[in-house]
Amino acid sequence: MSNVITASHLTLAYDKGKKEIIKDASFSIKKGDFVFITGPSGSGKSTLLKALYGQLKPTEGNLVVGGIDLARASSSKLQELRTHMGIIFQDYKLVNEWTVEKNVVLPLMIAGYSMDVQRTQAQRLLKHVKLSEHAEKYPLELSGGEQQRVGVARALSKNPVVILADEPTGNLDEYSSNVIWDLMENACQQLETTVLVVTHRIPSIFSLPYRHFIIENKGVYEVH
Amino acid sequence: MKSIKNHLMFILPLMAILLGIEFFLVFDRTTDSYEKGLKEGYSMLVVANKTMDLAALKKLNAHIESSESIKRENIVTEIAQDMSQSSQDEILQALPYFYSVRLDSYLSTSGLEKIKKDLEKDESIRSVETFGSSYSSSYRLFSFIKLSLRVFIVFMAMISLFLIIKQMEVWKYAHSERMQIMEIFGAPLMLRSGVLFKVALLDALVATVITVGIFLYLKFYWATRSGIDIMVQNQESLFKMIDMAILLGAAVMIVIFAVYTVVFSTKGVQE
Repeated sequence: MSNVITASHLTLAYDKGKKEIIKDASFSIKKGDFVFITGPSGSGKSTLLKALYGQLKPTEGNLVVGGIDLARASSSKLQELRTHMGIIFQDYKLVNEWTVEKNVVLPLMIAGYSMDVQRTQAQRLLKHVKLSEHAEKYPLELSGGEQQRVGVARALSKNPVVILADEPTGNLDEYSSNVIWDLMENACQQLETTVLVVTHRIPSIFSLPYRHFIIENKGVYEVH
Repeated sequence: MKSIKNHLMFILPLMAILLGIEFFLVFDRTTDSYEKGLKEGYSMLVVANKTMDLAALKKLNAHIESSESIKRENIVTEIAQDMSQSSQDEILQALPYFYSVRLDSYLSTSGLEKIKKDLEKDESIRSVETFGSSYSSSYRLFSFIKLSLRVFIVFMAMISLFLIIKQMEVWKYAHSERMQIMEIFGAPLMLRSGVLFKVALLDALVATVITVGIFLYLKFYWATRSGIDIMVQNQESLFKMIDMAILLGAAVMIVIFAVYTVVFSTKGVQE
């Protein structure tokens, strides 16, 4: 199966290359892989995720996502790539002045889908995340777990090629966590979506085969 | 209430700039006609030994627009009423030629001096009277009023620009989160800035309509009832339809500048 993500001799750094976070990392991730990335706090897990959605350019080496070399990609290429990604943040990053439904359909809105398609997809996804009755509410009216489920619904709304999730269940209750893991497992299984999850610990209830990378001492290592 | 305050924070400084622009346009038009009046009411006197036509005078200085010969016979009749005809003829023969010369624009006193010098270079010209003192006082007053109003308009525009920059900071605070999230999901610039554009364009439209309304009121209601001569005489100059396009254009330009500055300064997701 083809690689969706390929990193070769990848170095990521802040402060114009002075503060190296990841150094000389090489790995590849195939279509449909479910990947957990773990590591101690401050090891560079979120930094790697940032680089994968093009928010941080590689200092050295190559990072190719969906055939696009992120070190050299123009802003329009990055923009296009992001429309094929679903990103889930630990702090949800929902637009608080928009309703839950509008937040969910943001990727569809960007892609220019009709209002009808947007509405149908929003209703379907909100049903999946068990938030149908909250469609017209605003994010700040929901609990943390509910907000994260909105974030997951948003990430899945356009059937992305890749889902990048940064501590998606970090501070959530068991019920919300289970709903989120189920949704990501389903996307991976049924739609062959590549899923990368940055987390402190791999959930015990996880049923799918997965790959596990550890970030330690600036290196990215696969655990077999 | 907060929303109205946010709108007013942009509408008011924008209105101040638009009022400044409109004042500038009105003043420019009014002073143009006043300047024309001053120019038409002014002429210098040229005394020459021989007859001189307009082309000869224009050759000496390009600012000369027209010249009118003053009838020497009338001067003689005036100054030699009780003399015999032969004496009057002798005076007429000895009398130089007088010309009233008009200029193409309202010049400064140094400009007048230059014309005088240029004319006096010609040997046939005996003397030139510019009537400089009365000219100078009206010119200085006119220039002072013109300068003071321009300084006031520039000052007002600067203060308003600072207020607009302040409002841009408020916009940045209010809209940055949404624009950053949209950027992460691949939204193009126009879509990211769409909401802000709508808000700012609405404010620009309101500011333009109010400014136009004020000047239409001044033109059609206040000017006629004020009894101030200069207002009544220049009522037409108070507002022209083209001003509406100029004001809307200026407001839209300011909006485009302000919105894009905010959009470009809110790149990336804040962690």
